[in-house]
Amino acid sequence: MAEVDFERRLERMFAEAPVTADETAFAARVEGRLNRGWAARRAMIWIAGVAGGAIGATQLLVSNLRPSLERLEIATPRELITLREAAGAAEWMTPLVGGETLWLMAALAAAAVGLALTRMIEEF
Amino acid sequence: MTGHPINFAALHDVELSGLAATGDRKAFGELVRRHGATVRALLRRMGADPARADDLAQDAFIAAFERIGEFRGEGTFAAWVRKIAARLYLKKLPREKRLQSLEEMGEAEGDTGAEVRFAGRIDLDEALKNLGEGERLCVSLCYGAGLSHVEAADALKLPLGTVKSHVKRGLEKLRARLAQPERAAEERLGNG
Repeated sequence: MAEVDFERRLERMFAEAPVTADETAFAARVEGRLNRGWAARRAMIWIAGVAGGAIGATQLLVSNLRPSLERLEIATPRELITLREAAGAAEWMTPLVGGETLWLMAALAAAAVGLALTRMIEEF
Repeated sequence: MTGHPINFAALHDVELSGLAATGDRKAFGELVRRHGATVRALLRRMGADPARADDLAQDAFIAAFERIGEFRGEGTFAAWVRKIAARLYLKKLPREKRLQSLEEMGEAEGDTGAEVRFAGRIDLDEALKNLGEGERLCVSLCYGAGLSHVEAADALKLPLGTVKSHVKRGLEKLRARLAQPERAAEERLGNG
């Protein structure tokens, strides 16, 4: 019994902490780290959202460009040359149009929704 | 939304941890204010120097915030964080040093019996100085961080018997040490 009593006493002594003057400062340091981590997370979500939006917009423009060019067959040769050159410059983007792009866009869109939610939680 | 500031100081730990689980960092800050000292003290008692104890305690609280959903309120919040901190300390303690410490069977440097300050209470920190490092680590893990002997053996990657014998010897030394001021007080009362 004395053994158990001593063990309980020891646990209580471990749970007691010497009073220090910097408890508030210590808590502030932890809060600061939490806030910095949160800010970094939000920044990452912002970046992902913006990148996703940019990729989505680019894909939309490229996919609409070719039909527009076909409709412009009746246009003047000079205009056609300019437009075909522009289309050629955008050729590098076409490999992006595929399943991976869709998944990437979906992921980035989800990240953007996450951003919106975190903002809502933060503000309300 | 309501515009009423929450008085965190009036809330129970379980309520604060519930708020922290929703991402409320100020509520968590109140928990840190309440329990930071015990976590730092435990790390110092396990053998960390004060600066390192502060750093590790910060890491432990950050880890606790990220895992706050795992805290069910079954034990105390302080005990839960102390356990996280102790495991973190062991994880960051170089393995060589850990094993070396636990192999040390010699007496630690500390006050001799003649130097005991009977005028004042010998606190736990003073008493722990009389334990070997392995004993101190095992006793701190089991009675400060609340690990069972099996959990401590697992965390230290040592045989259960080794941990048990460290704890047994550590307790014997602590009991003898902590009894001295009580005896002195009784003697003073008897003389008075």
